[in-house]
Amino acid sequence: MFLFRKIHNWLNVRLGVDDLVEKQLTGYLLPANINRWYSLGSVLLFIFTLQVISGVLLLVYYVPDADKAFTSVNAIMNTVPYGWLIRLCHVVGSNMMVLVLILHMLSVLFMGSYKRPRELNWLSGFVIFTLVMAISLTGYLLPWSQLSFWATTVATNSAGAIPFVGSYLVEFLRGGALVGPYTLGRFFALHVAVIPIGIVAIIGLHLFLLERIGVSTPPFGLSDTKNPWKDDRFRHEDHPGGIPFFPNYLLSDMTSVAIYLVFFLLILFFASNIFLPKDAFIPANPFQTPAHIKPEWYFLSNYQTLKIFPNEFIGLMVQGAGMTFLALLPFIDRGPERHPLKRPLFMVCAVGGILLWIGLMIWGHYS
Amino acid sequence: MEISSRRKFLTTCLGVIGVTGLGAALYPLFRYLSPSKDAGTKQKVTFQLTELAEGEARYFQMDGKASVLVKPKGGTVAAFSAVCTHLGCIVQWQKSQGQFLCPCHGGQFSAQGAVLGGPPPKPLEKLPFVVNGTTITIG
Repeated sequence: MFLFRKIHNWLNVRLGVDDLVEKQLTGYLLPANINRWYSLGSVLLFIFTLQVISGVLLLVYYVPDADKAFTSVNAIMNTVPYGWLIRLCHVVGSNMMVLVLILHMLSVLFMGSYKRPRELNWLSGFVIFTLVMAISLTGYLLPWSQLSFWATTVATNSAGAIPFVGSYLVEFLRGGALVGPYTLGRFFALHVAVIPIGIVAIIGLHLFLLERIGVSTPPFGLSDTKNPWKDDRFRHEDHPGGIPFFPNYLLSDMTSVAIYLVFFLLILFFASNIFLPKDAFIPANPFQTPAHIKPEWYFLSNYQTLKIFPNEFIGLMVQGAGMTFLALLPFIDRGPERHPLKRPLFMVCAVGGILLWIGLMIWGHYS
Repeated sequence: MEISSRRKFLTTCLGVIGVTGLGAALYPLFRYLSPSKDAGTKQKVTFQLTELAEGEARYFQMDGKASVLVKPKGGTVAAFSAVCTHLGCIVQWQKSQGQFLCPCHGGQFSAQGAVLGGPPPKPLEKLPFVVNGTTITIG
């Protein structure tokens, strides 16, 4: 303890550690009525960290070559001690990341935390969402199984619907006319380097904005649910009389992470096959498309939308319009009210949108 | 129970759970990263003696290390580790001189693995082998 105190004093004199701790941890107060949904961001940080760690570990044995990729993944699953655990962590984790990200986005939507002055936070979160979808798409190809190969063929084909530049765009994405070794090379580079760096950078921005603007107050449990910010000058939203981040809210975050781990480990040890259908265990064959090849669950609604519209370009445009609407929501929904039960139009649109998305996903699965 | 001793007890329990969880996570990680004992190796290597001409050497891998089978002119077949005993470079068979030369620091070994010159402190490690007709099995 004496040594610890000496080190602490040494650092304190040079860096003002006590001041930092007070500002960022013990003195950083959050609203008293904060709820469990607010910790989904921390859960996502935990999931992303686990994905990076398991991904780097997979890199030790994975070979990003079309002739060796499938064999290397097989070796990880069957030969390398606990390789199956690392690989399944990565597979299950990627799907859970998308699910928790959607829940986080829904909680922000329903609690109106995207509204002013937090438009930038919503936009940065939307960019992270797009990058997570991209990293999931690129990672899907790497095992080079029948599922990987043909799901990527279907996904990259959709860009061909864009007029004039569509076919060039498809070739650019694939590194050739068809999915092949060059596709694996560029998807690998995107998946392990480019997109993770992008995600880290935007998460940094997201957290900076969160701290700079201040955590929003949940619209429940308070008599005044209106946003008091008047759009006149910068005003950091602080919460005097709130709960300290450290140790109170940190422990709450850790509880949420523990709850997440329960579900994660249950799926990993007892039901990981829901993410690995039989086509995931057959090496890629460019001359044989499996019957009923489909993308992962989070792309099923996009896949089904493209099938509904007779013109693929219109299908793409409809989806683009939907995503654009979602991205610009803080600039469209400018009302000050944040309580979901006091925003009937928002509730109708949001619940309708979620039901539509789920319906398209189920339809896509069975079609 | 006093609040402070209750807090201490709960913190200790949490610490024990945390350490156990960390151990449960680190053990598979350690096993995953540990090199496999038989990674890329064969315990025994077999050659046909007819594959090797007189005065020639054949390099192969044995227990993860570079090894060499040599049939010197007028001499008997021998198998050695091809790793120089000086600093670990791979010795090269000099057919014209009938000896091994290490390219790193000029260490020289005879066809029987003995040190002829240069900095190597020890002869080349001999590998056991069995000749069965025209088949030689090393290891």
